[in-house]
Amino acid sequence: MTGTEIYKRTDAYESEARTIRLHAPQWKLLLAYDGQRSLAEVALSAGVSFAEALPLTEKFLGSGWIAEQPITLDQYLKRTGAPDISAIGAAVLPAVVLHEPKPDAVVAPPSPPPLIPKSTITLSNPPATPPPISTPLPIKTNHGPMRLSAVVDYITSLVGNTALGQILVYRVFLRVPSELLQAEEIASVLLVNDTSLIRSEALQKAIADAVLEVAKRPLPDGVYAAA
Amino acid sequence: MPLHERDIHYFIEVTLAYLNKITGNEIVVRDPTIEFQSLVFSAYTGLIHLKGNAEGFVYLTASQQFLHQLHAARHNRGRLSEESSRDVMTDITGTIVHNVTKHFGAGLNLSEPRVFSTVPDDPIEMPPAVFVQPLLWRKEHAYFVMGLASSETV
Repeated sequence: MTGTEIYKRTDAYESEARTIRLHAPQWKLLLAYDGQRSLAEVALSAGVSFAEALPLTEKFLGSGWIAEQPITLDQYLKRTGAPDISAIGAAVLPAVVLHEPKPDAVVAPPSPPPLIPKSTITLSNPPATPPPISTPLPIKTNHGPMRLSAVVDYITSLVGNTALGQILVYRVFLRVPSELLQAEEIASVLLVNDTSLIRSEALQKAIADAVLEVAKRPLPDGVYAAA
Repeated sequence: MPLHERDIHYFIEVTLAYLNKITGNEIVVRDPTIEFQSLVFSAYTGLIHLKGNAEGFVYLTASQQFLHQLHAARHNRGRLSEESSRDVMTDITGTIVHNVTKHFGAGLNLSEPRVFSTVPDDPIEMPPAVFVQPLLWRKEHAYFVMGLASSETV
């Protein structure tokens, strides 16, 4: 699973729905599959990280409650932003199914965060004494802190390949001013399951701007926790 | 023109391919991190500077035991000296330079690999962020580290 797959609830779900017992966050995810949005988008909208969504999606697939929704080439090109089929020089009949559902796909659970051995020596930059930052006038927003894991998962999902997506995340964070990161005491970003919350609006804006600049996509509202 | 993600990832692929060739595909790739304030160095490090289409550096840093096991796997014997640790690291970084040069051609200039133990002889300028890919083999760690100039993302 890469996060770009699209799922919809099945007839089996409809017939079993009243007898299914799940925790509330799992229901939220299960009810978010709409046959339109990608897994990454669904996870964001349901307020769960991509890493948390993967095993749940596997569970739902295994129970037959959801199925992968194949999409046509036109739908795929629309999602990826290509203007039209002729733009890629392809003469393709409509309604071409790109891939078949793979209900038996197995995804290994994410490995735990890396442990830095004690024998490892690090060279550090000078202590994080944030230089003066021009303080913008407070902007009234109706969202809460930014969830770093959601930002990472969103950027990663844009590429459709986890390893390349993580490089894209790196390119994004090369554009984020280090003084803002230091001021928020962000020394590193775990590319899987980072639990940090970004409260500084200046840093939130810098990250959003960097995503727009590098990945050419705006951050969705789902990366923000509730106010 | 900044490098595409595929091109940047090529450095990691080349390193992994070579290590997996020696270890029989036993290298475990752990979750990577992005570090903003520090560089990680283990017992031995092979450093390569990049110029041209990408500005910055890549290095592999590994524990002595990691190199010891690599050495044993390659030469079918267990003794490892300071010199042979450096030789193993020189071999790995030399392979990276060879393959990357072949892949990118004249557009990317790579320095001669510099191998050192513990900490670099000359200070390394900390870029805005470094990408750290932890690797694990038989409970021993190595880290692939890449630091690019922020201009790479323009």
